[in-house]
Amino acid sequence: MSRVGVFVCHCGENIARNVKVQQVVEASRDIPGTVVTADYPYMCSAPGQQMVIDAIKEHNLDRVVVAACSPQLHEPTFRAAAAQAGLNPYLCEMANIREHCSWVHRDTEQASAKACQTVVAAVERVKRARALDPIEVPVTKRALVIGAGVAGIRTALDMANAGHSVVLVERQPSIGGNMSRLSETFPTLDCSQCILTPLMVQVSRHPNIELMTYSEVEEVTGYVGNFTVRIRKKPSFVRAEDCTACGDCVEVCPAPGGNEFDMALSTRKAIYIPFPQAVPSVFTLDPDRCLNSKLDSPTGFRVLACVKCEEVCQPKAIDFDMQAEIVEREVGAIVVATGFDLQLGKQAVQLGYQRSLDVMDGLEFERMLSASGPTGGEVRRPSDGKVPKDVVFIQCVGSRDPEHGVSYCSRICCMYTAKHALLLKHKVPDSRAFVFYMDIRAGGKGYEEFVHRAMEEERVMYIRGRVSQVIEEDGKLKVHGVDTLSGRTIEIDADMVVLAAAMEPADHGEIAGKLRIAADAHGFFKEAHPKLRPVETLTAGIFLAGTAQAPKDIPDTVSQASAAASKGMELLSHEFLQRDPSTTHVNDALCAGCFECLQVCPYQAIERRQILDSEGVLLREVAWSNPAMCEGCGLCTVACRGGYINLEGYSDEQVFAQLGALGPLPEVLER
Amino acid sequence: MTEANVSVTRGETVSVPEGWQPHIVALVCNWCSYAGADMAGTTRLEYPANVRMVRFPCTGRMSPLMILRAFEQGADGVLVSGCHPGDCHYVQGNLVARRRFTIFRSLMDFIGIDLKRLHFAWVSAAEGHKWAKVVTDVTASVQEAGPLPRFDRPEGWDGIDLPEMAGSGPQELDSDQLDAIRTHLRKAASEMLTGGRVGVVIGYGAGTLPDQTAPIFITDAAGCEKLEWGHGCRNNLSTYVGSALEQHERVAVVAKTCDLGAISGLIREGQLRREHVSVIGVQCPGVRDGSELAAKCLACSGDPHPICDFVVTVDGVHESCQDLSTAVLDTPDARDKQIAHLESLPHDQRWKYWQRQFSRCLRCYACRAACPLCYCSSCIAEKHRPQWVSTAIDSPGNSTWNIIRAIHLAGRCTGCDECARVCPADIRLDLINRKLSLEVERQYGKIGLNPEEKSALVDFRMEDSEEFIL
Repeated sequence: MSRVGVFVCHCGENIARNVKVQQVVEASRDIPGTVVTADYPYMCSAPGQQMVIDAIKEHNLDRVVVAACSPQLHEPTFRAAAAQAGLNPYLCEMANIREHCSWVHRDTEQASAKACQTVVAAVERVKRARALDPIEVPVTKRALVIGAGVAGIRTALDMANAGHSVVLVERQPSIGGNMSRLSETFPTLDCSQCILTPLMVQVSRHPNIELMTYSEVEEVTGYVGNFTVRIRKKPSFVRAEDCTACGDCVEVCPAPGGNEFDMALSTRKAIYIPFPQAVPSVFTLDPDRCLNSKLDSPTGFRVLACVKCEEVCQPKAIDFDMQAEIVEREVGAIVVATGFDLQLGKQAVQLGYQRSLDVMDGLEFERMLSASGPTGGEVRRPSDGKVPKDVVFIQCVGSRDPEHGVSYCSRICCMYTAKHALLLKHKVPDSRAFVFYMDIRAGGKGYEEFVHRAMEEERVMYIRGRVSQVIEEDGKLKVHGVDTLSGRTIEIDADMVVLAAAMEPADHGEIAGKLRIAADAHGFFKEAHPKLRPVETLTAGIFLAGTAQAPKDIPDTVSQASAAASKGMELLSHEFLQRDPSTTHVNDALCAGCFECLQVCPYQAIERRQILDSEGVLLREVAWSNPAMCEGCGLCTVACRGGYINLEGYSDEQVFAQLGALGPLPEVLER
Repeated sequence: MTEANVSVTRGETVSVPEGWQPHIVALVCNWCSYAGADMAGTTRLEYPANVRMVRFPCTGRMSPLMILRAFEQGADGVLVSGCHPGDCHYVQGNLVARRRFTIFRSLMDFIGIDLKRLHFAWVSAAEGHKWAKVVTDVTASVQEAGPLPRFDRPEGWDGIDLPEMAGSGPQELDSDQLDAIRTHLRKAASEMLTGGRVGVVIGYGAGTLPDQTAPIFITDAAGCEKLEWGHGCRNNLSTYVGSALEQHERVAVVAKTCDLGAISGLIREGQLRREHVSVIGVQCPGVRDGSELAAKCLACSGDPHPICDFVVTVDGVHESCQDLSTAVLDTPDARDKQIAHLESLPHDQRWKYWQRQFSRCLRCYACRAACPLCYCSSCIAEKHRPQWVSTAIDSPGNSTWNIIRAIHLAGRCTGCDECARVCPADIRLDLINRKLSLEVERQYGKIGLNPEEKSALVDFRMEDSEEFIL
């Protein structure tokens, strides 16, 4: 039988004015199990708390109810006091007789009756409460960062610099991501490679970072603090430890093809380094381009038709028999930084894309502007190599366009279009640049000034309107647009057209599925709260950084990357994670394996477990709630028709008792 | 404030004691509504003192059993309040709960609870004023409804005449046709056994009386001669598939179209695997209850459904097996007329009707035994700690039992009516289950026969209806 102490607070006049405290104290005495009742003007004060502590010790109380203000305010206070007295804090409840009672009911009789009943219900509830201890989850002191663009690089460096071990996985042969493709960045016109390469080198040299390029995450199991990750290292057919990047192989390789880094505006060989500043600086042999047959062989080559690279390689780094390797790593935290791709949407062809060589998207133009790009930094028409004089830039191609593309704004295009127009004018001073825009979004630091510079100093012509189509005629691109500010249609004979494409997440569900994290309708990973928790996901231990979460520019990406690192480090700073013990438990002796609980759980906290007989034969599958993942919402408890799932802190027994105590009291009805 | 529920209050006389005050229990979620109520307190707003609060982490934790218990304990009204959709602290708790509440509320309305007693609201942590207004309005509403009527068999009440159910039923089959079907069926079953395709065929065999059958389990080809077919083939044999699978790796089951939903449901809920079951659909002349065609048959064609693995008709047997993802169970229903009639009556008449029905309940649980989707190892009715469903054969317990069984079947029941057939007290369980099927269909679309499709009550959409929510 419980020994309950009930302590009723006056809260000065706040409760005592409308609630007859003595009546509540008297009523509490009659509740079975109550051995101590007391009242005090301010229970939350030091002497008030001391009264509770002393009573617990003196009367050997094993349950406490404090009838006072809202638990949202002082539950931690009284729980701490109980803990100080040696009582498990979860055996201390509050009955709200202030916010829900004395402050809102003027009639003293009614308020007092309600207060009495509230206390009765609280006592019945606490009698059925169980001592709980925070759930301790050990934490593996290592982080995994998926994606090594500027976001992944920044996150990895922050964590590694703080002394944490980081595994950085990148699916391309080199790190750097989309930022390494840029020529200059707005609004400073910093050379993108120049500011990124030092970070890339730091990553490659960092003792705390295990860099795996040309690798992909294959499988992730486990939960916060205890993830097991299987990573597939794709075969590059070049032993990285031996390759000196001398380049002898690339000279003799006979197999050319499009260079993805240059957005297919230039060619590369089958054996290649993606760009001069690549990290790691080693060659990769692309099995899809290499002349060697790969029939009947899932990896590697069956028939070696051409071994020219192997012949000239002095360090003997070429290995045609290299296989994919699966490695396993244990990590405590995961950061997803998988970045973006460009997507032009359905209108692209109408605007000349793929119909004319001289119509290109933002990244393609960017490569053209780059000194290390396909044209050595000169702006030239891909069709005839001539320098263009009139270039039209079209914003919002695929963005802000639910009919042909996506509904959202891709955030960076106004700025990079201004940059492109500005750089065009720098490189071709007698050229003319026209920008068709809907709005100009230049919200960052120095952004508005940058756009004005393009407009005023470089005399880029900004036309507010859309373009209906671009038609190639006699070597010119006829751009049919409209100027809404003058209300007239416009036709421009352009030499080149650049389309500002929409940003879409590079991951198309593969990582989302492997990590079981949510993404929105566009594929951007869902943050835990759009305002207050922008770098966490709802899956404990998994964080987000960069454009994988939403379109953004480099400053915001880097900020978010550091934020994600900070969150990751917060997790890794503990030996053990303390999680709220208000979690669910499935009675697996009764579970019928319908898994409706699994289907409603927002946190993927329910897992399938197999029940095997002594010979290992599967008898049935049952549900199991992972206390490290469970957040205690209780959705599963109602989904379970048989009632086999219970929730600590809000158990069936507690709710049942509370409802039983809240039936009408005869005294209240008779007025 | 509340949706316009079309129930004409015709001359209801509610005798209310002088100065009576309603007693209302509020189930509130911690993160929004409890905090919103706190805010009302901090703002010192005044509202009636009739409400008693019960705090939960989320509306997702709130079960219909809790609302029923509140009523059983004497509450005249219940208010359920949580976060606005999209704001749930646990992402989707209120969205799943919203569907549960919608269905539960429609059932309570159907059995005659005045909806002035049962309210749902979304009150956020910032909406102190809204909380005060909601409580004030709900108190006034429950005051208007009066004291909760007793859970009791109505005395001195003439009852209700439900309209006749109409329908021609399936195509009549004469004895030659039935013989032909029987022959084809026996042959198909026999081939499945000799071919080793299945280990047992579950079918209908001769019963103890001429027009009755009993389920049989045939494991050898010769035994297939015992397979019967006709008006007496009433049982839903899918109830037996689970236990048959404990003895045999693959089973065949003879199925009428009205039995198929149960098989899909069992697959969907992980109780069976599709590859372990061969379904033999048979042309059905309609089952008879005595000499009358069963209500469920009145609107049915009797044709076997193409999703079965094999289809047996007068002409023979052919393999079928339509793609499950396109399969639709077309169930127009003769009972809908009776449901519509009940819904047109004032709630106190409905209450009396259903209390009279429930008062006859013996708690024999034959309905549960006959239902293929009642496969729980231990039923909620057997849960004693705590005892949500009172085992006493009294009206509150009987009402709770029948209500919760209907709720547990909402979105899953496909109207085989076995529960109603086997009920020794002739309770119109078929009407309750059909009413909830209609409600689920109306709100969330038909659940097809595809086991891959999520059941309506474990799913949600942001745009689910909520006109009744304050």
